[in-house]
Amino acid sequence: MRLLRQAALLLRSELRQELRDFELVLTAGFFTVVLLAMFYLSFASLQQRAHLGAIPGLMWLTIAFVGVLTLTRVFDREREADTLRALLAAPVDRLAIYVAKAAMTLAVLMICCAVLVPGLWLIFPAGAAFAAAPGSTALLALLGCAGYVAIGTLFAAGLATGAGKNTLLFVILYPLTTPVLMYALVTTRALLDGDPALPSYLGQMAALDVILFAAACLLFETVLVGAAGPRRSSSSARRARPSGQVPRDMSREPAP
Amino acid sequence: MSEPAAALHGVAQRFGRKVVLRDVDLELAPGTIVGLIGANGAGKTTLFAILAGLLQPDAGERRLFGRAADEVDADARARLAYVAHQTQLYGGLSARENLALFADLRRAAGLTTRPADEVLLQLGLPAEALARPVSTFSRGMAQRVALARALAASPELLLLDEPFTALDAGGRAQLASVLEGERRRGAAVLLSSHDLDALVELCDRIVLLERGVLDRSAAHDGDRAAFRRRAAALWQGRPQDPPRDPLHPLLHPQDPAAPGPAA
Repeated sequence: MRLLRQAALLLRSELRQELRDFELVLTAGFFTVVLLAMFYLSFASLQQRAHLGAIPGLMWLTIAFVGVLTLTRVFDREREADTLRALLAAPVDRLAIYVAKAAMTLAVLMICCAVLVPGLWLIFPAGAAFAAAPGSTALLALLGCAGYVAIGTLFAAGLATGAGKNTLLFVILYPLTTPVLMYALVTTRALLDGDPALPSYLGQMAALDVILFAAACLLFETVLVGAAGPRRSSSSARRARPSGQVPRDMSREPAP
Repeated sequence: MSEPAAALHGVAQRFGRKVVLRDVDLELAPGTIVGLIGANGAGKTTLFAILAGLLQPDAGERRLFGRAADEVDADARARLAYVAHQTQLYGGLSARENLALFADLRRAAGLTTRPADEVLLQLGLPAEALARPVSTFSRGMAQRVALARALAASPELLLLDEPFTALDAGGRAQLASVLEGERRRGAAVLLSSHDLDALVELCDRIVLLERGVLDRSAAHDGDRAAFRRRAAALWQGRPQDPPRDPLHPLLHPQDPAAPGPAA
């Protein structure tokens, strides 16, 4: 319960800051609209049967780009003021930090999807399948974004405690999120094709998300502050020292 | 004798090839204020990070509140407070919101916290400033909010990395008074500063961290003038850097006497 309460408090703080300037939502939203415009200009003239192949890739490419943009900004707030270290030094369950950041990023990505999916439907007539199955579309978007966020939040947090590591996030995140994005891409194609195996694909995505979140929860604290464990003892620690004894013979400097 | 609030035995830390701390021994007893001095890059902030649980030492032992602390768990973090060199406040939130967030996080963990307004008044922050975003504050005002956040937790171990930075004379006096109160309450305080006079007025002991080595100190024996002379001698008597052979650390990486790379 402490974990959930603290995660809720941190998420409330995130939302409060976001509602003051809408930085994340506006950035993600405008970027999505720009990409949609570019997709329209580039691909709208293709034959309709080519649209079915293009829509899944365009959708998840957009999520990948918006996702890394959002993760960068979510943790830039912490990096600029070093507030992440204040949370790490406080009696805050460290998983609560992960949950709050992941929830915030997921919320922004879902807002992005709320613009992206209707936009793809408008640009590509083959996207009408999204409107025909709104529940499946929403679940697909949620599961795909959740899997992306599970990995992305873990590594963005780890890089946030160092300076100048934004470029590393791009390098690390894309290879690691490829399996999730590919799964989402295949499932999106199944939805557009009206594949009867769609529920099975969605179930597999949900299972993948559970595995990714569990792994991220196990690794989060280690990624942030490093692993504790048996370590080499230095020379003075190897000397037996009774408790309470001053460890080093601190002699006073003679008065000049 | 009660257990120290914090103790480091043989702690070492390196970042890549750079050795930042070497075989550091330090004890912080309850009801004492220890001053930490050292040149820029001596390893003070790294030392604080290890004590606050933000960094795992590469070697040695860390003990907090009488127990070995391979990891600084939430229970230990509930009993300590760390004020870093940066104020670590959310600029988009007001002072009151920043303090309320951390107070609420403590309460969610079942811990008590003092009213932050009460602590802020002790530190001289005007009440009308509490509702303003921290991004509009001067460095000194933000520093007071950061200190109030730490003090509201009534910690048993208080770690302050250059707390006098950006405080005016009035703020320094108020902080010194607050820290005296913390000492009387039985807290162990470790603070770093480049202001030797402030440390002499406040501290029971001053230790020198020089190139990652902490092996010289001056203790207050009741004679403040003598303590001041010893503290000054401590600072002035720092070993001068020997001529650097750039190849020496590469040829003799295990040589403890080797002048390490600048930390």
